[in-house]
Amino acid sequence: MNLNIFIQHFINALSLGSLYGLVAVGYTMVYGILRLINFAHGDIFMLGAYFVYFATIVYHLPWAVGVITAVILTTICGLLVDRIAYKPLREAPRISALISAIGVSFFIENFAVVVFTGMPRPVVQPPILMKPIEFSGGVRLIPLGILVPVVAFVLVGGLMWLLYCTKPGLAMRAISFDIETTRMMGVSVNKIIALAFGLGSALAAVAGIMWALRYPRVEPFMGMTPGIKAFIAAVFGGIGSVPGAMIGGLILGFVEIMSVAFFPTLSGYKDAFAFLLLIMILLFRPTGLLGEKLEDKI
Amino acid sequence: MQRVRNLLLTIISVAIFALFLEKAPTFLNGYWQRILNLIAINAILALSLNLIYGMTGMFSLGHAGFMAIGAYVSALLVLSPAQKNAMWILEDIYPWLLDVNAPFIASIIIAGIVAAFFGMLVALPVLRLGGDYLGIATLGFAEIIRILITNTARLTNGSLGLKGIPAHTTLFMSWGCLGVVLLCMVCMLRSNFGGVLRAVRDDEVAARMMGINTFRVKVLAFTLGCFGGGLGGALMGNLITTIDPRMFMITQTYNILMIIVVGGLGSVTGSIIGSALVTTMLEWLRFVENPITIAGINIPGIPGMRMVIFSLLLIIVIIFRREGIMGMREFTWDIFFPKRKAKSQEKISESDTVLEVKDVVLKFGGLSAIDSLSFDIKHGQIMGLIGPNGAGKTSAFNVISGFYKPTSGTIKFMGKSIGGLRPDEVCRAGMSRTFQNIRLFGHETVLQNVMIGSRIRQKYSWWMTLAPFIFTDVIREDSAVRARAMDLLSQLGLADFADDEASSLPYGAQRRLEIARALATRPKFLLLDEPAAGMNPQESEELLQFIRRLRDDFDLTILLIEHDMKVVMNVCDYIHVLDQGVHIAQGTPEEIKANPRVVEAYLGKGAA
Repeated sequence: MNLNIFIQHFINALSLGSLYGLVAVGYTMVYGILRLINFAHGDIFMLGAYFVYFATIVYHLPWAVGVITAVILTTICGLLVDRIAYKPLREAPRISALISAIGVSFFIENFAVVVFTGMPRPVVQPPILMKPIEFSGGVRLIPLGILVPVVAFVLVGGLMWLLYCTKPGLAMRAISFDIETTRMMGVSVNKIIALAFGLGSALAAVAGIMWALRYPRVEPFMGMTPGIKAFIAAVFGGIGSVPGAMIGGLILGFVEIMSVAFFPTLSGYKDAFAFLLLIMILLFRPTGLLGEKLEDKI
Repeated sequence: MQRVRNLLLTIISVAIFALFLEKAPTFLNGYWQRILNLIAINAILALSLNLIYGMTGMFSLGHAGFMAIGAYVSALLVLSPAQKNAMWILEDIYPWLLDVNAPFIASIIIAGIVAAFFGMLVALPVLRLGGDYLGIATLGFAEIIRILITNTARLTNGSLGLKGIPAHTTLFMSWGCLGVVLLCMVCMLRSNFGGVLRAVRDDEVAARMMGINTFRVKVLAFTLGCFGGGLGGALMGNLITTIDPRMFMITQTYNILMIIVVGGLGSVTGSIIGSALVTTMLEWLRFVENPITIAGINIPGIPGMRMVIFSLLLIIVIIFRREGIMGMREFTWDIFFPKRKAKSQEKISESDTVLEVKDVVLKFGGLSAIDSLSFDIKHGQIMGLIGPNGAGKTSAFNVISGFYKPTSGTIKFMGKSIGGLRPDEVCRAGMSRTFQNIRLFGHETVLQNVMIGSRIRQKYSWWMTLAPFIFTDVIREDSAVRARAMDLLSQLGLADFADDEASSLPYGAQRRLEIARALATRPKFLLLDEPAAGMNPQESEELLQFIRRLRDDFDLTILLIEHDMKVVMNVCDYIHVLDQGVHIAQGTPEEIKANPRVVEAYLGKGAA
């Protein structure tokens, strides 16, 4: 493998990993606060991609306007999911909310089949993002490969600033620590939870849009596998931890791309690596890389 | 009498149902027969996952993987060599596999055993994880199994799958299998071993203190559940006649999980009702995807609509009736007849000499919770362990009862070293304890809580509970245990609450129940962690009498932690004082009252 190809793989892994990371952040925020695996998160990701398809190809909006519209619409969908399917179950046993999440996931996927049909659709790729740039030494990269990680890091950086330097961020961290006490401190818990869902959905929308640009098509079940992978990334990095989710996503991206790059014969097992990695880390560090240790008080 | 009646009713209804199945092919078309078959298979799958999750509390998302194993094992065994030869196109089949063959019934049993074997392999490492992490790890394993099946084409024909599996799954087969599974499971869950499973679900820590090796119980339940998964998968393959890896995606597990939750988590009856409901609904809803003509207007079928309606119904059920149809209740014939209660008697006594703690040190990282603690307790003594908050009293209890391993030092119980033993082993040695924050098995009845304490003194093995009518020891020992539990309850004034849910008792009664449960393990030595916490002066006065009576009636030696000085000074023969992990004083109550170091530890320097 020469340097040129290695750099291609590296950039590829970086952008795949940061996409996983962006989605994982949404899982980790919701889980950190509600202890709920939001199975519908992968489908929110899919909606983001579809809204851009509609905005640009069906309604002929300029690409940038389409992206902004799509992010806003997806965020609204995320908020609606929380309001309709999760909020009535806040006091219920956790399994109820989990089943509700599975129901929502089924609903969104199949609703997409009904409305958009099961056929894959093409995606508008702005030429400026796709035109390869030549670097010295014969390295060729498309701007999209660089744009994806940059966007992801900027967004997650912004989220970290929000979490650690603002009042709503403080409230969010407090809720994940103890929801009842935070409520007694006068924090409007439901608004903060909605904020978490909104932010998570917006990030998932951005990830979905960029995912669709990489594999230029959208289809109703496109969120399933990236969704599960991103959740693995979140667990891997230590669920509840935003930087952990990003790191988990990146590691997963690198493992997937590099294992296939170095051992092409094992490409059929690509998806198994992610799970194997997950089980390994759970066995040796049960709460993930950056997760906090929990113990049952006797 | 009541039992005979219920048995008769059961036999009659099974016979009627068998007659129905016998005649079914004459009046039901293939479509409805298929639905009936699917109901039975889904019920087997739901029961097995319910055993893992609903009964034992292990959140597993791996069932589809074990189904896949079962389906492939059975299919490979029943397919003829000629069929196999024709099917493997892309890669050659392993030659040895060509001639491996077994009759259908044997094949589904082998399928279950192979799935159970893989289940055990998975369980041994991952069951150390709890909660959602366990769910994710099992999901991971299921996916790995699926990917392995896709990639080992010489064994499984890869992504092409297996076709032309003989349709061996008849109505009698699927419902017969369900009947056997149901019978074994109901018997097991009704025995005291079933109580142990629920105890592990409700409070693992307390279960360990009842002498239960919870890890072993969990591995066992998981393995048995996987057997059911494999069996269900095998039946499914032989019904549909075509299998491929995509059939066993996570969606398959979700379906089973939905059945359990809709039916009622932890309810056997619920799993069967849930299966009937969800299966019928999913099949029936297919009509929305087919074109139909109503009053001359042609409505084209809408692909995807079936799952949209189904998922909406699911969300509505979960929001408005989250405990499912049955909750945790079960169907019994008794609901058609008025109730009665049973009572009986038995007596116990045991004795010996007791505990020696020597130079015990307990450190968490650099922090030392206990700094060199030594004391011993003689038979029949009531000893107090006191000290301000954070003194290390509960840590000392946790070391003695095996929840923490001492960093150094020795603990001898009745002459034998117990330092480093697990809680369940310590319990078997004859020690029991209560907890500062009461840890009852909240969903179980008062009586069942006490019966679980007796499990370690029973001799029958778990597998006998699958067929108690053959291994009658199960019935005999369980009824002896029930009698003894009732006896304990009446001695502690709890007999009237025997059938109430433990969590519904008033606080004081819960504390007494915890003691009753501890006594059920037949301890020689009892540790009480703050028995008077939260009691008013009159209640703690009663407690004084009660603790003395405990010692005399049950021939116990008692070590207690207590903040209520009145209780401590009145009931204890001897007292040890800890402060910030240091053993600062010991003596009779009078000596302790006069000791300046104790007063200083409680009230601060200068107070003395």
